[in-house]
Amino acid sequence: MTFDIRAADLVENPTPRVPVSLCIDTSGSMAGDKIRELVEGIGLFYDAIDEDDDAHDSAEVSVVAFNTGANLVQDFASVEGLQRDITIAPSGLTHLGEGVNLALDTLEKRKSLYSDTGVLYFQPWLVLMTDGQPNGDKSELERAIQRVTRMVASKKLTVFPIGIGSDADLDVLGRFTPEKPPLRLKGIDFKEFFEWLSKSVSKVSQSMPGGEPPIDFGSIRGIEDL
Amino acid sequence: MAAQELLDPIDFVGPSGRLLIDTSVFMDDRPERRGGLKALLQRCGQTIRLNDNPIVIPIDVVEELTKQSRKVDPERAEAIRRAGVSLGFIGDAAALGLVRTDIGHDSNHYADSVFEAIFTRYANQYDMCLLINDITPLLHVRLLSHTSSKKLVAGSLTSDGRVRIESDQILYERGVRKLRRKQDEGDAREVAALSPLLADFKGQFGTSELADRRTGSPVLGSPSAESGVRCRVEPFDREPAFKGADSLLEVATIPSVGDKVHFSSPSGSGSVVLDELLGEGGEGAAYAVHGDRVVKIFDRDHVTRHRQAKVEQFASRSLYSQGICFPEAVVTNDAGEFVGYMMPRARGNEFRVIMNPRRFLKAFPGWTKADLVDVCISFLEKVSYLHSLNVIVGDINPKNVIVDASKNVWMIDADSWQVDGYPCPVGTPMFTAASALGRPYAESLRTSEEELFAVATMLFMVLITGQFPYARTGSDGDIARLIKDGNFAFQVGERSNRDQPEGNWKYMWSHMPRGLKEMFWNTFHREGQRYTSPPSAEEWLRAFRQYRWWLGSDKNFDPMSNDVYPFRFKAFKPETPILECPQCNRRNALVGEWNEATQDHVIPGMCFDCSQQNRPRCSDCGTPRPAGALKDGRCRDCNRKRDFGTCERCGTETPHRYLVGGRCSQCQLGTCKSCKKSVLKSDLSYGRCTACERRGNELDPLRLCTDCRQSFIDFDHIEWFKGKGLDVAKSHVAIKKQCPPRTTSVQPASSQRYPNVPRAATTTTKQAASKSSARPQPTFWERLKKWWNG
Repeated sequence: MTFDIRAADLVENPTPRVPVSLCIDTSGSMAGDKIRELVEGIGLFYDAIDEDDDAHDSAEVSVVAFNTGANLVQDFASVEGLQRDITIAPSGLTHLGEGVNLALDTLEKRKSLYSDTGVLYFQPWLVLMTDGQPNGDKSELERAIQRVTRMVASKKLTVFPIGIGSDADLDVLGRFTPEKPPLRLKGIDFKEFFEWLSKSVSKVSQSMPGGEPPIDFGSIRGIEDL
Repeated sequence: MAAQELLDPIDFVGPSGRLLIDTSVFMDDRPERRGGLKALLQRCGQTIRLNDNPIVIPIDVVEELTKQSRKVDPERAEAIRRAGVSLGFIGDAAALGLVRTDIGHDSNHYADSVFEAIFTRYANQYDMCLLINDITPLLHVRLLSHTSSKKLVAGSLTSDGRVRIESDQILYERGVRKLRRKQDEGDAREVAALSPLLADFKGQFGTSELADRRTGSPVLGSPSAESGVRCRVEPFDREPAFKGADSLLEVATIPSVGDKVHFSSPSGSGSVVLDELLGEGGEGAAYAVHGDRVVKIFDRDHVTRHRQAKVEQFASRSLYSQGICFPEAVVTNDAGEFVGYMMPRARGNEFRVIMNPRRFLKAFPGWTKADLVDVCISFLEKVSYLHSLNVIVGDINPKNVIVDASKNVWMIDADSWQVDGYPCPVGTPMFTAASALGRPYAESLRTSEEELFAVATMLFMVLITGQFPYARTGSDGDIARLIKDGNFAFQVGERSNRDQPEGNWKYMWSHMPRGLKEMFWNTFHREGQRYTSPPSAEEWLRAFRQYRWWLGSDKNFDPMSNDVYPFRFKAFKPETPILECPQCNRRNALVGEWNEATQDHVIPGMCFDCSQQNRPRCSDCGTPRPAGALKDGRCRDCNRKRDFGTCERCGTETPHRYLVGGRCSQCQLGTCKSCKKSVLKSDLSYGRCTACERRGNELDPLRLCTDCRQSFIDFDHIEWFKGKGLDVAKSHVAIKKQCPPRTTSVQPASSQRYPNVPRAATTTTKQAASKSSARPQPTFWERLKKWWNG
C-alpha cells in the first residue's frame, strides 16, 4: 500500500489552514470582460497559492457565485483539489445576501469538519465581489450583514468587500465592514488583487510582531478607497 | 570505585561480547604502553578463534591510519611510520582471523563517532569493551553503561594487554581539561559536543569539580550543570535589563545584488560584492558571498538600532560554532551606514519540510525515527550552546531551523535572537507560551521558561512530524486559546483523553518511549509537573540520547517504532506476535490481541486499515463504520446532524420534525385561554398560564358561605357554574364541603375582605376537601410504569 497523501490530506497535513471564501457576483452585468478577467484572476490566485510553499499547505478555497440565487461552485479544498476550469455564464439579478449566506453556511460546515478532526485553522477570510446593487430578498441581505458583522466583531472572520467598477453599491458593501471602508477595484484588474491575496495567505503563518496578522489594505495597488 | 581498575579483555571476545580498538591505541607511542597490542593478542587469540569473534577495528580506523601513513611531514615522521606499521599489523591479524575491519561507515556522518554509533546501537545486546585514549568516547561509554543492561567499558591498553578503566571522577576531570583546551583553541565543534556530555556526566555520577575551579558560565535552566567549565567566549549578560523600544536608523541606500558592501570584524575588514540573491524574507534579503558566506541586508523598515547593537555584539566576540549562523561581521553600505551582517551559509531544508509528509518523503527518503531523533539531538546541542551563552533564540519556528541530509542542524536568523536585553521582536503563535501570548513580542524580554516552551513544542513537532501539541478535536481553531487551555490531548498511562486529533498522530505518539511521553505530557498538560518550568535543553538532550539508544536496543521490540509514519499502535509486550497483513502485505502491520479468556494472542485477519477499507463508509463524512452502524448509508453522527436542528430559543438539539418555527416543543408559544396572553406552551396548564391557574385556585374573598360567613369557593368553581349557566352555589354545603369548625367566636368582618389573613385556614380546608372528594387518578405515565414493571 502506498502512502496516499491526497485522500487523507485533511488530517495528514498538520498545517493550520486558512479558509478563503470567494463570494462573487455573476449577475448579467458581469458579462463580458469583467467575468473573463475575474475568472482569470481566480486562476492566477490558484497558481500563486500553488507556487508558494506556505500558502500551498495552508490555503483552502471555496467559491460561491450569486446571481438570481446562489450556487456553490467550489467547496473548500486544498489547492491540489481545486477545480481549475471554472466556466461561468453571467446572467440574472444580484442576490448578494443569498450568496453571502451560502458562503457562510459552507464555511460553517468546513469549520465543523476541522473541529471534528482536530485540524487547526486561522481566522477565515471572505472575499465579497460585486459590480452592482443587491436586489435579492431584503431579509436575506440583512441576515447576511448581521452574520458577517457579528463574526468580524468576534474575530471569527476577516472580510474584504470589493466593488467592481463605478456602479457597485459601496454603501451596502460598507455595511459588511463597519470599521473600515470597502474597496473599489478601479477598472477590472483583478490580477494584482489576487496576487496580494495569495501573499497575504502565505504571511499568516509567518513570524509576526504579535497580535493580529498585519493586513495592509494600502499595499494593494490598483485599488482606491473612496 | 577505585581510581582505576584493570580488566582482562578476554571477557569481551566470548560469544556475548565485542572488543573494539580505536586509532589512538595504534598511534600511542608512550614507552610505558609498548607491547600492549601484542600482549592483547596473546591473551585473547585463542578465545577469539574459538568463538570466531575477532576484535573489531572499524573501517573508519583503517582509513584514518591510511591517511596518516600517506602524509609527508618531516616533523611527524614517527607518527607516519607508526601508522604504516599499524596497517601491516591489522592486515596480518585479519588474515589470521583475529581482527575484522568490515564494520563501520555507519549512516552517522562523523567518522570519529563510529564507536558512539556502535555502542548506542548495541548497548543492550553485547558486553562491549572499547580500547581508546580519547576522553570524549570514554565519557560517552561510561554514561551509556549507566543505563545499559550489559557491561560496557572503555579504557586504555596497558603494556601487558589489559584494559585500564578509570574512575568517574578522573574521567570527568580529564573531560573538563579537554574542554578548556578546546575552548582556548576555539574548536567550537568539540566544545559543542563535549560540554553537554560533561554536564550529563556530572548529573549522572555526581562528580565534583576540579580543584582549580574557575569562574563558570551559567547554563540556562540548569545553573549548576556547567559551572566550573570555563568558556573562552564570555557569555552575554545573564539577567540583562530590557533595552526598551527599538528605533529605525536612517540609511541612504540599501545595497542589492551586484552592489559592493563593506564588512568589518575583529579578524579583519574588507569589501565584497553581493553575488547571488538567495532569498527574501520579511526583514530583508540574503545574498551569497565568497561561496560559503551569506550577507543579510535588511530592508529600510528593519535597519534598526537594536539589530545593529546585536550584530555588533555577536561580531565582536568572534563566535563560531558549527551549525549556528552567528553574525561574523558588521556590513555597511558605501556611506558607512549599518545595513546588515555576514554569517556562515546554512545549507539544507527548513524544519517545516519535516512537518509535511509530501515534502518530507521527497527531501529525506528513507529516514527512520532514529534520524528524526538525531535531528532533535543536533537541534538541542545548538540550543544548549546558545543558552550557555545566555542567548535566547526567541522566535523558534520551523522556518528558522535548517537541517541537511546528514542531519546537521543550523540555527539561522541571529538578528532576531534576544541578547543583552535586546528583545526578539517577532514570534510565531504556535511556539509562544501562554504567558507571552497577546502582547507584541518586542515589548518585553522573553523568559527562559517561554523559550523552553518553544523548544519543547519544536521537539514534539519534529517527532510527530508537524502536529501541534495542543491540536485536538472540538476546538474552534484558536491557537492562542488552545495554548492557554493547556489541554494536551495525547494520552499517557492512565490519563486518557477523548480529544486526540484524528490521523496517524496517535500512532506516532504511541510508539514513543514511556519516559519521553511523560516528559511531554508533564510539560504540555496544565496539570503536569513541568507545566510552568519546562525541561531545559540539557534535560531534553539526555532524554533524546536515551531515546536514540533505546531505538537501537533490544528493548525496542516493535519494529514499527522505527518508522517515521507508523500506522498502528505500538505492540503491547515484547512477546506480542507482529505479522505482515495478508491483505495489503505491509510488513509488521498486524499485531496479536491478547485474549484474557484463552490466555493467548488472537491474530486478526487483516490490519486495521484494511478492515476499515472493507467497511462501508458513511455517505456524508466518509468514515468507515461497521455495516450495521450505518442507517440510510450514514453514520449516527451524520444522521443526527442531518435530522436534528437546534431550537432557536433554548438551543436543545431536536429532530427537525419536532421543530416548529425553529423551536422545540418546549419552546412553542401558546395562548392562555383565560387572559389571552402569549406564553410558552410548556408553561400552560389545562390551557392556562401559571398566573391564571394560580388565580383560579384562589377562593373568591367576596363570596361568603351563607352558613359560616367565610370564603368557600374558588374562582375556577365559580366559572364552572357560570359556564353551565347555573347560579353560583352559596354555601359550603352546596358544593359538598363542610363549614370549618368555629374556633373563634366571630371573625372580624374586616379580615374577610382581605384574603391574606384567613387564607391559611381556608386553603387547608380546600386541600382537605379535594383530597377526600376526588382522589386523583394515577396518570398515564404512572400506569404505564406500573404495567412495564409488572
